[in-house]
Amino acid sequence: MSKRFLHAVIALSLLVTGGQAQEPPAPAEPRPNAEEIDTLLSRFSDDPDRFTQTDGEALYRTTCQACHMEDGHGAEGAGAHPPLAGNPKLQSRHFLAGVILTGYHGMPRFGDKMSDEQVAAVTNYLRSHFGNDYSDRISADEVAALRPPEDMD
Amino acid sequence: MAMTLNPTRRQLLAMIGQVAGAAAMYQAMTSLGFAAESGYSGEPDLQGPRESRRVLILGAGIAGMAAAYEMRRAGYEVKILEYQDRHGGRCLTIRGGDRYTEMGGHEITCDFEGDGYLNPGPWRLPVHHRAVFDYCRKLGVRVHPFIIKNNRAYLHSPQAFGGQPQRIGNVEKDMRGHVSELLAKSLHQGALDDALTAEDRERLLEGLKEWGVLDSRYAYRASDDLGGVRGWDIRPGGGLMPDARPSQPVDLSALLQSGLWEQLFNFNSYTFEPPMFEPEGGMDAITDAFAREVSDVIQLNARVTRIAQSDDGVTVTYEDGGRGGTVREESADWCICTIPLSVLVQLDVDCSDAMRKAIAAVPYASAFKVALEFRRRFWEQDDNIMGGISYTDLPLVQIAYPNYGFLSDGPAVLQAAYDTATAGRSFTYSWSTMTPQERIDAALALGRQIHPQYDAEFMSGTSWVWHRVSWSLGCYGQWTEDLRDEHYKTLCEIDNRLVLAGEHCSHIPAWLEGSLLSALDAIKRLDQRENA
Repeated sequence: MSKRFLHAVIALSLLVTGGQAQEPPAPAEPRPNAEEIDTLLSRFSDDPDRFTQTDGEALYRTTCQACHMEDGHGAEGAGAHPPLAGNPKLQSRHFLAGVILTGYHGMPRFGDKMSDEQVAAVTNYLRSHFGNDYSDRISADEVAALRPPEDMD
Repeated sequence: MAMTLNPTRRQLLAMIGQVAGAAAMYQAMTSLGFAAESGYSGEPDLQGPRESRRVLILGAGIAGMAAAYEMRRAGYEVKILEYQDRHGGRCLTIRGGDRYTEMGGHEITCDFEGDGYLNPGPWRLPVHHRAVFDYCRKLGVRVHPFIIKNNRAYLHSPQAFGGQPQRIGNVEKDMRGHVSELLAKSLHQGALDDALTAEDRERLLEGLKEWGVLDSRYAYRASDDLGGVRGWDIRPGGGLMPDARPSQPVDLSALLQSGLWEQLFNFNSYTFEPPMFEPEGGMDAITDAFAREVSDVIQLNARVTRIAQSDDGVTVTYEDGGRGGTVREESADWCICTIPLSVLVQLDVDCSDAMRKAIAAVPYASAFKVALEFRRRFWEQDDNIMGGISYTDLPLVQIAYPNYGFLSDGPAVLQAAYDTATAGRSFTYSWSTMTPQERIDAALALGRQIHPQYDAEFMSGTSWVWHRVSWSLGCYGQWTEDLRDEHYKTLCEIDNRLVLAGEHCSHIPAWLEGSLLSALDAIKRLDQRENA
């Protein structure tokens, strides 16, 4: 998808509504502005088949956050989405990268939608945020070595 | 798998194998089973127990309620434990006034003022899903046509035709016309003489003329004949209205470059063959109908924590009143467990190691929906779209128009965004990370590219994200061929006193029919075991 085109259309339509909104008194509920919409839509990848964000936080915000939540604390119900904050399983960078690559229980795998670099970026992000403070980082090469044989074509 | 691995790597892989449950987990996820034929052969013919027998059913979704309904008819004593404060499971309908707190604490509101609604889960019924139709007939559920393909609805890509949506019928007829012209050209050039007799060649050429609406020189061009097939720029009128003018076909290259042709493939599958149907007033009409039969045996707000079994019975521990509630036990001769595997894997279950591995092996798919209410039916009034679905390359993927309340004044609801992980797209994950308000903002920002009327007519919106549903932790069992080979049979087999049922125990995942067939098959085998 052409992001620039998409954003131009959105900016234009916001301009039109913005213009209309100026005549009567300010609407009760302010709509998100063009920049906020821009940021929100940047969460979608440019390629429908793969995630195109490259840095760990952006990847977290568009994948993991769905279940592990904005604060990395997960959530409980009939079962739970486990917390990433303070989770001792994150001690092993290999374990965490392996879970992202292959999935775990009900969690879908992301190995087919992220490159080695992306898996490394999100692994390193998780292990250095949400109160986690592990200094060892995983490299893309290490992720590549973790990939199951079926993943490599 | 025949690879040489150094020891370090083998260790790592073994570790992953342990946590993931199986090597098959690694396999590419493809859409499987979605076009499967329903194996329904009429209502189950159960013998019933020879002496008093109690069956405990976990989950009051369609599988659990159908199992209860049929087993009680056959003479078993049944009881259902349900985690939620409602029956119906993933078959539900959201209407104005409804509130739902998602995992993570965000509240989903629905403030629809009209009679429109959102079906967050199942929302349309293929006619070959015969079990669903049979129960609708028996339980008095009224259905009406669901317009799966509307030639007036749109195909859209922000990069194609300056972002202008194209009518489905036009794209389809232009592709047919161009392909017919090309085939006729090949036939005239003798390119297919090896494949066809001279007589068949002539018949095919004649047929292509009609099929593709080609002119006398086998060219696909605008003509009055084509106007009668593809439509008109100026429609034939009455009296002294202007002369009709046929519409202009789009060039083949432009069509191929646009990608819209590929969107047409959405209509190819057997599952989505017209006509499809939907219950009047919302999908929960189906589960409400089952509940009318079995609500007296459903205990709500019961959170199962443990399934223990011995050779002659099963004991289920649950928290009465939900998490942290009073701990109670229920004993029975048999247990039918329809709890989604995503939840079941986190419970304490007595079963074989193989079944435990199967329960842990199946990932749960991402899926979401956003619905928006508008002041008027601009899609009908301005765009001549009466029901059906428009498709787009935008992350909203599809806009579904209501197939009820046609021509009415006042508010109406669009299903403004919907996708699942089945097609392999990444968008559904991103939608699932958004707050309820952000989903509405995104659906508006994207959808106005197809329907600019959004801005002036929008009233309110609602949404659903299956990975944030506390009782399913995802939408449906995302099987792969390899996972099925390794785990499916084990998952469905009776394990001593326990049998699993639900869409995850079927070859029609995510569909009501899969849940029903799974339940019917499970109770048939239990009944046989009881009478063996």
